[in-house]
Amino acid sequence: MRPLALLALALLVASCGGATHDDRTTLVVQRFFGACEAEYGRNTDVAAAEGECGIMTSIINRFEADNPDIRVVENIVFWPGYDQLTAQLAANDAPDLVTMHGSVIADYQARGLLDPVGGDLATVGITPDQFTDAARRAVTIDGKIWGLPLDSWTMLWHVNTNLFRKAGLMRNGQPVLPRSPEELLAQAEQFERRTGKPYLVQATANEYASYTRNFYTFVMQQGVPLFTDARHANFRTPAAHRALELFKQIRARDLTTQNQDYSAAVASFLNGGGGVFLVGTWMVQDFDTASRNPDSALHNGYAVFPYPQLFQRNVTFADGHNWVMPHNPERTLAEHEAVLRFLKFFAAHDADWARTGHMPAFAAVIDSPKWRALPHRAALAEIAHTATPLPKQIRRQFPIETVVGQEAAAAIAGNKSIDQALADMERRVNDILQHI
Amino acid sequence: MASLTPRRRRATDWTNALFVLPYLIVFVAMIVVPLAWGMWLSTTKSDLFGTEGFVGLTNFVRLFGDPIFLQTVWNTFYFVLLTVPLLAVLGLALALVLNRQARWAAVLRTIFFASTVLSVTVVTLVWRLVFLPDSGLLSVVTRALGGTPIAFLNDETLAMPAIAITTIWWCIGLPMVLFLAALQQVPRALYEAAALDNASRWRTLTRITLPAIRRTFALVIIIEVILQFQLFGQPQLMTLGGPNNATRPIVLFIYETGWRQWELGYASAAAQVLFAMILIAAMVQYWLSSRREAR
Repeated sequence: MRPLALLALALLVASCGGATHDDRTTLVVQRFFGACEAEYGRNTDVAAAEGECGIMTSIINRFEADNPDIRVVENIVFWPGYDQLTAQLAANDAPDLVTMHGSVIADYQARGLLDPVGGDLATVGITPDQFTDAARRAVTIDGKIWGLPLDSWTMLWHVNTNLFRKAGLMRNGQPVLPRSPEELLAQAEQFERRTGKPYLVQATANEYASYTRNFYTFVMQQGVPLFTDARHANFRTPAAHRALELFKQIRARDLTTQNQDYSAAVASFLNGGGGVFLVGTWMVQDFDTASRNPDSALHNGYAVFPYPQLFQRNVTFADGHNWVMPHNPERTLAEHEAVLRFLKFFAAHDADWARTGHMPAFAAVIDSPKWRALPHRAALAEIAHTATPLPKQIRRQFPIETVVGQEAAAAIAGNKSIDQALADMERRVNDILQHI
Repeated sequence: MASLTPRRRRATDWTNALFVLPYLIVFVAMIVVPLAWGMWLSTTKSDLFGTEGFVGLTNFVRLFGDPIFLQTVWNTFYFVLLTVPLLAVLGLALALVLNRQARWAAVLRTIFFASTVLSVTVVTLVWRLVFLPDSGLLSVVTRALGGTPIAFLNDETLAMPAIAITTIWWCIGLPMVLFLAALQQVPRALYEAAALDNASRWRTLTRITLPAIRRTFALVIIIEVILQFQLFGQPQLMTLGGPNNATRPIVLFIYETGWRQWELGYASAAAQVLFAMILIAAMVQYWLSSRREAR
């Protein structure tokens, strides 16, 4: 026993004293976008990475390789991670940088939980005029910049052109997209008659966000404000009624997939289950990759467009991802400097991040031939001007999105009348806004 | 000990109390203080970062005028009604069948208890694969039989029963084990006497077994009422409280209000209502079973 005990003691001493002291500055970054350490844990070749997780992980790895004096601690949270962040902030355990949706920034900013970064970014040559309109609006509150925008995203009209061709909805090699609700219904019925498949593929089970994003977009397209001021929603309008009625008709006439959750809807579209998948920018790269696979139903048959303009205005509801810096009075100068270097590095890699399918946050990237040469990007470039987030003074956009989605889903499924759903939607949202 | 003077007895009592002090400290710190804190929070306007002010009973008044909260109260009661009686009856039935010294019984006891050790994430994942209308097990079977698959989790009337079935599958192990333990305490001699008297199986069950395990029956009901009132994970993962709020229970309401809307005071008020509901339900059950026993 005695030699064994001595050996254990020696190992313990060695493990305590033998380790070299790491005097690098530690930078704690907290992000969503998933974990892919097995595939990209050591990859520093950003150009070789694919998908949100792969590109994000590779950029961070590259940053660490290029900045040997900084140790990055990457805390990957389950999407969207705000419960965890809120708990961390309440416990004074803030990370140095966090990924945050533009729609959520105002909640944390209003409680003094974030530090503005505009002044710091300016010192490294990043100014708000370089951002796209949507990206700038996402991080600007009371004239200050509260984060570095990574991207803007919107819902898109992902099209299976193989099925569109079969449905007679291709003209000059391009899909024919609707220009009014009536055209949408007519084209969807033609599609269903000729292909035997639903025109739309939608994730509608255990999922409310897409209901909300569709509703916001088509009310915005009618030029009617969704909120009259910071405390009042404006949902009991003919415009809101028309937006829900359109989707109710689509469902009632069996022109959409039904009862599919997100995974099932993605699988359905990949397998040629419908003509148009209503999902966001983040799927562009995946579907484009599938379109190059001869075994895929999308082979040589994928195109993607912004939401068609069905009403008076050409706008699409948008949100975006940003890096924000939680307030931490104990952050050292070295840590602060590491944060700044990290943000500058990410700004320089905006074009790499935009390969995910998200819209670049920097106008110069959108204007660059390199970005426009990426698949489908020429068709998506107009989003830089049409992407429209909710007004910044509307707080609690995250829970509001759920409430709006729940009521919209109830109306579209016929669980309650559209008027009742809109009244309930407005009452519930006002209740949230008035108790902030 | 009878010779101790009152003063010495008092001193001895005080010393004895020291033995329970460690537990008492943990109990007060982990149960009493949070409970009192929650009660205080329910009378304030607060978020996780601070309290804005005392609002008295405003949160409670708002709660009882909130149709969504009232629906969650009904949903929670409905779920308890769907699950607790079935958990008790099925748990007892399984225990009666498996209460024997046979290898197959031991294997089945293990199998039936195995689901209890799974996390809610795994359980709901498994049952979503059963209920999915597109490619779920039930849909495959229904199509094979020439029928149209039913979207259980998307149907306002079927979603809660689907969650109840999931929960019963998940939770059946505990009542079964409790009943098994109780059945093994029933004296063998009573069954032998009944056999000598040619008592039927039904008569043996109703005259010997059930009266002998009535305390356990009450215990199972009380435990399950307390557990099932706290429904959260299953609807959070299977339906997000939908469709049309049909599966939103009180705890999900508390979570969404406190964490998503940052209304900690309002969420605490809902938590106090839930606490009162569980307390009353458990006490009524306890009172009923004690009264029966006293007779």
